[in-house]
Amino acid sequence: MLDSPPPTAVRRRLRQGRDRLATALITAGGIGVIAALLAIGLFLAVEVVPLFWPSGEASAIHAEALWGGGETAAEDATRHRWAPTATLTSGEAPRISLVPLAWGTLEAAAWALAIAVPLALGAAAHSSLFMSRRLRSRLKPTLELMEALPGVVVGFVAGLVLAPWVERHLAEVVACLVLLVPGLLLAGGLRSRLPARWREALPLGWAGLWLVPWLALVLAASVWLAPWLEALAFDGDLRRFLELRLGLDIAVRNALIVGAAMGFAVMPSIYALAEDALSGVPASLAEGAQALGATRWQTLWRVVLPAASPGIFSAVMIGAGRAVGETMIVLMASGNAALMTLNPLDGLRSLAATIAIELPEAGPGGVHYQLLLLAALALFVFTFLVNTLAELVRTRLRRRYRRLGGGS
Amino acid sequence: MKAEPSRRLRLPRGEGAGAWLAAGSVALSLLALLALLALLTVRGLGHFWPSPVELVELEGGRQLAGERVREVPHAGGDGLERLYRIGNQDLEGGRWAWVRLSAIEAVSHPADLVVVERRRWGQAIGRLSAFQGASGERIEGEAAWPALEARLAELGTLRDARDRLREEVILPLAGRNDETAARELKAAHARLRELQSAMAGGRLILATADGEGLAVPLEQLLGARRPNAMSPLDKLVAWGEGVWRFLSEGPRAANTAGGVWPAIFGTVLMVMLMSILVTPFGVLAAIYLNEVAHQGRLTRLVRIAVRNLAGVPSIVYGVFGLGVFVYGIGGRLDSWFFEASLPSPTFGTGGLLWASLTLALLTLPVVIVATEEGLARIPDQQREGALALGATRLEMLSRVVLPMAAPAMLTGVILAVARAAGEVAPLMLVGVAKLAPQVPVDGDFPFLHLERKFMHLGYHIFDAAFHGGDVQAAMPLVYATALLLVLVILVLNLTAIFLRHHLSTRHGALTRR
Amino acid sequence: MSVVPFRRLIHWLLLIAFCVPLAQAQADDRDRGEAIVGTLGTMGSDTMAGLMLRWGEALVRRHPGIRLQLQASGSASAPPALVAGTTRLGPMSRPMSDAERHAFVARHGYPPRELTVARDALVVVVHRHNPLAGLGRRELDAVFSDTRRCGAPAAIRDWQALGVDWPEGRIRLHGRNAASGTQALFRRVALCSGLFRPAVNEHPGSAAVVAAVAEDPRSIGYAGLNHLTSGVKALAHRIDDGTLRAPDPEAVRRGEYALSRDLYLYLNVPPGEALPAPERAFLDLVLSPAGQAVVEELGFVALPEAQRRRQRRALALDDGG
Repeated sequence: MLDSPPPTAVRRRLRQGRDRLATALITAGGIGVIAALLAIGLFLAVEVVPLFWPSGEASAIHAEALWGGGETAAEDATRHRWAPTATLTSGEAPRISLVPLAWGTLEAAAWALAIAVPLALGAAAHSSLFMSRRLRSRLKPTLELMEALPGVVVGFVAGLVLAPWVERHLAEVVACLVLLVPGLLLAGGLRSRLPARWREALPLGWAGLWLVPWLALVLAASVWLAPWLEALAFDGDLRRFLELRLGLDIAVRNALIVGAAMGFAVMPSIYALAEDALSGVPASLAEGAQALGATRWQTLWRVVLPAASPGIFSAVMIGAGRAVGETMIVLMASGNAALMTLNPLDGLRSLAATIAIELPEAGPGGVHYQLLLLAALALFVFTFLVNTLAELVRTRLRRRYRRLGGGS
Repeated sequence: MKAEPSRRLRLPRGEGAGAWLAAGSVALSLLALLALLALLTVRGLGHFWPSPVELVELEGGRQLAGERVREVPHAGGDGLERLYRIGNQDLEGGRWAWVRLSAIEAVSHPADLVVVERRRWGQAIGRLSAFQGASGERIEGEAAWPALEARLAELGTLRDARDRLREEVILPLAGRNDETAARELKAAHARLRELQSAMAGGRLILATADGEGLAVPLEQLLGARRPNAMSPLDKLVAWGEGVWRFLSEGPRAANTAGGVWPAIFGTVLMVMLMSILVTPFGVLAAIYLNEVAHQGRLTRLVRIAVRNLAGVPSIVYGVFGLGVFVYGIGGRLDSWFFEASLPSPTFGTGGLLWASLTLALLTLPVVIVATEEGLARIPDQQREGALALGATRLEMLSRVVLPMAAPAMLTGVILAVARAAGEVAPLMLVGVAKLAPQVPVDGDFPFLHLERKFMHLGYHIFDAAFHGGDVQAAMPLVYATALLLVLVILVLNLTAIFLRHHLSTRHGALTRR
Repeated sequence: MSVVPFRRLIHWLLLIAFCVPLAQAQADDRDRGEAIVGTLGTMGSDTMAGLMLRWGEALVRRHPGIRLQLQASGSASAPPALVAGTTRLGPMSRPMSDAERHAFVARHGYPPRELTVARDALVVVVHRHNPLAGLGRRELDAVFSDTRRCGAPAAIRDWQALGVDWPEGRIRLHGRNAASGTQALFRRVALCSGLFRPAVNEHPGSAAVVAAVAEDPRSIGYAGLNHLTSGVKALAHRIDDGTLRAPDPEAVRRGEYALSRDLYLYLNVPPGEALPAPERAFLDLVLSPAGQAVVEELGFVALPEAQRRRQRRALALDDGG
């Protein structure tokens, strides 16, 4: 550049013109792309409007029909009912309550979180506190791969493989759940009794890995012990016990199956964010606590966790957003029965799955179509709000860490 | 990790339960992932291994021959019952048989049981009682099998010759329009008829386990084998052939048999179109946000909004695609350009273009975020240096910043591709088809048919497992398809991870300097 | 936004448009009279997509000069295409509604010709070991609905209430998703147009219903006849005098089984005019024994012989075969 001749005025103006043009193009393009993205919410809102402010021939749908029960005929035992194809075309009172679908969505998400949050937080705590650096740098991408598994594969395995198996082996599953925690504690206890040489070979930093075969062993043992447990605690037949003694309905594809599959799917994203939050806590805090004589676990529980709690909150929020919108897993593993019960062994039906099945068959512009768009709008608004909340909390957290004098 | 004696003493008490439960949750997640992958691998690949055919003698003298599928506890009774795939649907009315284990008197594996794959009615299983050649000669007994094998090999070469003739001679000639071409075409057709008449005729006669006769015309035959007589090497060859056929052929029998080639093709093509659409727009938006826009409150808000759009459910994007692209833009295009074919929609129904656009929108945030991260990682000195040397902003961006951010962009695009390849829900709204034997690329103008529906691996899984004719029959193929999809996505993700790792070590050094 | 009313069933869409090069001429088909050349387009039902495809393949084997364009995106897509004249053949799994018929007459001045090409039935299925033999309409209504419009005195939720001592406990219900023709037919016939209980698991396909019922001894469901497997048992339908009618092909063909329906082909043919050759050849095939064998192979029920011959005569097809 230095020994090239100075550019003439014309060339310079050409270059500047080109630059201005490019900047303008980039600006226009960038704003256009971002506007297109943001138009999603706008489109849904505009399409849904006629549902509430009808014009012309379209029939008005009372908001009551969407959220309330609608008029309940004497013959009808179900207050909230989603039956648009049956009632919108036949001139009966429309039964288009979105309540059961919203209920199913939230129920599925709640069970997914109930399974994913403990797993993800435990894993995050372990990997930020105890895990050896080498294993940790391998674990993160592995869990990222787990996150990338397509929902349709997870849903297929949950709905067509896991659900029938669980149905046939209810007692074995209960036994696994009961013995899981004692099995893990037993591993810790046994290890402390081992001679030092063996203990060296099984460090806590690698426990995430060497516990895998041990866990498999524990699960196998609990499957083997299950008939005995069933005879002891549940009169020899768990299903009869649940159905007849507790009066629970049991569906093959139920909320717990959905929860397990979706928990598996959202666990990695919660883990990634929670791990970021935990390892982002300034080291000075943890070092101070340990210098005062706290164990690592006490440090985590009393110091690191409170400091990182907003980050963990936002991780859980992101997980909730994903669980609410996940479509294929719920569609394939839930049975799609629009029930409103608290029973985790009953089926459910979610907004997203309903959209996926019914929207292609609903004519555009019709009431059914608009109702499904309303459901999509609800999903959009919910996830957008939840994610924004999480993002704001995280931004504030980052500022707090900076103030605490750490830095990463 | 340093070993301090004091801590080791305290470990059982101090680190206690919590530490072990935390470690256990890592182990449990890994175990679940391993179990899932192992299940897919074993079931997906195991299906192609020729399984032995059992001859089962039941109480009361009845016999059946079939492949063992699985065992479940007998509902409402004691013991187990076993599912056999017995084929012969045209005789039995179904191709499955449930048998109580207690009703089985004897099980044997006779070497002369033949499994025949047919174009119609699915599998047939039985003993080869006779083979009838094209000229009507009838070969019975032991000699029938070698004769059949010889004839099948002959048919294979004839079929290859016919396909070659069609691909290399007839199709090119059909495009030309002159005297000589017409003459050559006529000759080629004559040759084709010769081949076809050489292939026609012949049949084999099977005796099923309970003694009925079953005639299978050779045209209907896709393959025949004697699994019990095969050596492990033969089985390995058959396994390889099975995997290859799965990858290279189209689906048969309402997606319960055959291969997934159109679905592979559709998935790859859709993802390619999507990345062509998403890359420039994503990079443009990222450059605007990071390099051009005034870094104020509004930009920060927009950035947060874009990030959040990555968390909006994919089905919502599908709804948007259906409402705006398909019904809105597609409907308009139809009424302007394709009025002749209305009311059958051309672009006003889901298709390749709309699916790619929808997924491009869905993955835009991924690309924007990844590119922005790459841009933010470039030290400001680099930009300032370029500007100080007299470069305009365009030159600074195109010569300095973009080359340095290229790996980050690539990572973003690969992540976007991995996400798009696994998405099914939005596709169900904007253009995936249950069965579209004609791939969207062919020799007809304009060669790439953007308005056509396409098949997709993920949707194929859903369709075969829930819509198809027979779920039990489709299961092995569903496993195999799921394994294939997971492999594709794993490879894409590993590439992205590798790139990111490579990138962070290189640029990490750069920033710290 | 432009509204085109018949774009339903997009993900069911099965689009087959294959042109068959002359090269596929089969040696044995060359001597069937003069060659028919032309394009045959159809648009309609997805239930019949498999049938149309197989008939189409057979037609091309007979007449290699015919190009096929088969589209199947749901029964509702057939009438508009017939009205607009883009196709002359519209397969439908339900009869045309009055509104659709009026639209056709208003445009063309004559009614469409209706042809019954096959019969289909719904079966109520239970687990293969279930001892139950059959159910009447009232019982079905009491099991599947909570409106009970067919007049059952009380809802039936347990197997005991159906009079079997095994399986015990609650009945688990399986069915098709809303907006499928299968669900609509079952609702009309078995529930007296009442509403399903929310506890019915809605599956996206009949095969999924059958698979779910085969896995679970406590379940009951309904599905298309052509999806039956040996994992489940089809229940007979009990009519009012107490006799059981099993859903075997004979009973369906004679119309004695209540949960059955006809599959139609609607034709646009002006009175007094002959059909174009490709369409004529197609109908000739469909109403031939070979065409009806395809029906059986796909699990549907073939037409009664008398009806087949009557329809052939009405179309002035030669009475061969």
